[in-house]
Amino acid sequence: MTAVVRPVGGSEVFPDGATRSTVAGGVATSGRPAFGAMGALSVFGFFVALLAMASLHSVLVNGQFEFDGLQDRLEYGQQRSQVLREEVARLESPSRILSAATGRLGMTPPPNRLYLPAVVPGDPLHPLPAPSENPFSLQVR
Amino acid sequence: MSTAPAATTATGRGSSRDLLRIGAEKRLKRRIVLVGFIFIVLSGLLGWRLVELQIMEPDRYLERGLAQRIRTVTLPATRGAIVDRNGVDLALSVPRRSVVANPGMIDDPAGAAMALAGILGTDIEVLEERLSSQRSFVYLDRQVDDEVADSAMALDLSGVYTEPENARLRPGDGSALALLGRTDIDNNGISGLELVYDNLLSGINGEMIVEAGLGGSTIPGGEYRVEPAEQGLSLVLTIDRALQFEAERLLADGVEAAGGKGGILVAMSPSTGEVLASATVTRGDDGVVRPSTEHKVATWTFEPGSIMKPLTMSAILETGTAAPDTVREVPGSVFVHDADFKDSFPHGTEEWSVADILRQSSNVGTILWAQDLGEEALYRQLLDYGLGAVTDMGFPGEARGILTPVGKWSGTSLPTIAIGQGVSATPIQMLTAFATLANNGRRPAPTLVRGSLDDGGVFTPIQTAEQIEVVPPGIARNIVSMMEAVVSDGTGTRGQVPGYRVAGKTGTAWKPLAKGGYGEDRDEVRYVASFAGFLPAEAPELVILVVVDEPARKTYSGGRAAAPIFADYAQFAVRQLRIPSEFERTGLDQVGRVMATTPARAFDLQAAEEAALSGIG
Repeated sequence: MTAVVRPVGGSEVFPDGATRSTVAGGVATSGRPAFGAMGALSVFGFFVALLAMASLHSVLVNGQFEFDGLQDRLEYGQQRSQVLREEVARLESPSRILSAATGRLGMTPPPNRLYLPAVVPGDPLHPLPAPSENPFSLQVR
Repeated sequence: MSTAPAATTATGRGSSRDLLRIGAEKRLKRRIVLVGFIFIVLSGLLGWRLVELQIMEPDRYLERGLAQRIRTVTLPATRGAIVDRNGVDLALSVPRRSVVANPGMIDDPAGAAMALAGILGTDIEVLEERLSSQRSFVYLDRQVDDEVADSAMALDLSGVYTEPENARLRPGDGSALALLGRTDIDNNGISGLELVYDNLLSGINGEMIVEAGLGGSTIPGGEYRVEPAEQGLSLVLTIDRALQFEAERLLADGVEAAGGKGGILVAMSPSTGEVLASATVTRGDDGVVRPSTEHKVATWTFEPGSIMKPLTMSAILETGTAAPDTVREVPGSVFVHDADFKDSFPHGTEEWSVADILRQSSNVGTILWAQDLGEEALYRQLLDYGLGAVTDMGFPGEARGILTPVGKWSGTSLPTIAIGQGVSATPIQMLTAFATLANNGRRPAPTLVRGSLDDGGVFTPIQTAEQIEVVPPGIARNIVSMMEAVVSDGTGTRGQVPGYRVAGKTGTAWKPLAKGGYGEDRDEVRYVASFAGFLPAEAPELVILVVVDEPARKTYSGGRAAAPIFADYAQFAVRQLRIPSEFERTGLDQVGRVMATTPARAFDLQAAEEAALSGIG
């Protein structure tokens, strides 16, 4: 094995007869390792970019999924509110109250009606509150 | 150092091996060239195909790709609700499911029909016929309850599935049905207010275009366009649900008690023309009186009879023909043209004032004054009250009534029209005429709708026609005073409401027979009994008309058949509308005494007070 002593700067004659320039300090003179590092870096960067894109896409998919879910919930909520609205109106309807009173509760219409006076002592903006407990519950009775 | 190859000699075993090797290399080269050529050709073909797909005809494939991914979803507009004047739902759309099928995917239609029949409550034969159809889509049952839909799905039948739809429901059952009308199964208005305001209630469907992947999930970043549906507006009626229900209930009871064929009760606020309740009942073939599906308040006409007299009297007073206290001799009968007219009760010649004539509901006295008034003046006055023309309500099928032009009047037209025969009007026309008297002589435009309400709760009132002055306020007040006497001391005493001054008029009209005329003998004659009145007479807030069609003979008069219904209903209505009685008005002047209210009403009052304060600020 032959050791080659490189001068600082200048040119050097290689065994194949070609003359190539060298740089000061004896730093590597060939382009091949630099290209290799760049290539490796590029490949690494490419994969990092791919990974980032995949992550971003995953976030996007999650967001879309959540959005779709919220929309479904909103639609369901709106439908449910309509159903409940109808149920409230039906429960409050005088015909249902009358049929429940005369049917299930066994009430009978009075022979004469007595209307309460419409003018009472008090404050029109703050009427007496409704009873807090269910007046028909067994406990109250 | 290079070495020149030795000259080969074609002799010996080594030479033949070389020849073989050279031959093999040549074959290999040829194969490589061939395979390379094949690859080049294949690559060329693939490349050409790519060029063809990507450059030469990309649209076709783009469309096919999009068709697979792009989903167009119709966003159905929900039909607006119909609410009463207090915001209570009278009709609204509720999501339901329809059970549908793709018959092509059903292997055993008979078995599927048998399984579904019990759940859907439909005949097996009908279901089997539908499931055996050649079509790709059939309805098995529409807008079913969730339990039914779930039970049908639980059968797990291939080709049977559900589709969402909106069903139109009326939470108050049949109450106000004639007024509200109906929609067909596809939610299009077909009668009543549902038909009149169909455009306003319907809304406009929206559309969502979305790029979706397998399973229908949205592709993020893909095509996504939404044209939101314009929801139908809610219609706010002038009707009060409680007043409507009670009107139907009391009217049905009253018609039953009077032995009538049917009846009408309609109530209005005289200052605004807003109809608060509009009830029609009829006696069915089974003899039961129940709410009618026809809104006869606007579509039915009747000869009003004596409730026409206040209108005739207002013309007499307005033209100065007479004053309320002008007295004249009123005989027991009067002969006009070729007919003899009598009062409903026998009497000799009496000295009666105009007010007395109205209080006693004297036909003879009214006819005598009408003759002094003249045909033209009476005709014009009745036209001004709105008779012979449809109202501004715009209800489908509304009748005009019959008020023949003066030129076509016969010799008996003046006397008969003056007492409400030979002329026909709808109940809403007569109610509006009485509302005119209650409203200081200004005729309000009757209306069933206050306005519309959008999704955000913004209320838009509807435009109502201007009020028209029919008679001067002084004349209207005179007529009201005369009508008060009818209730306090005349034919309408059964229309009294405790605590309130009531002005009203009874009517007992002969009903024209289908063959013409009113009937020759007593058994043939049919009546229409009515009572129109308002209260409190000193400042009317509520006008009510009650009509009983063909009451039984023992209760055929307006005073007996209709006035009690008026009184019962008015008692309830004044409480519901918080109209204080005479006594309560005095109480209201005292410190610390207020009109009783409900939490909902208190909320409205508070909102109104805040609005007024912010307006001042």
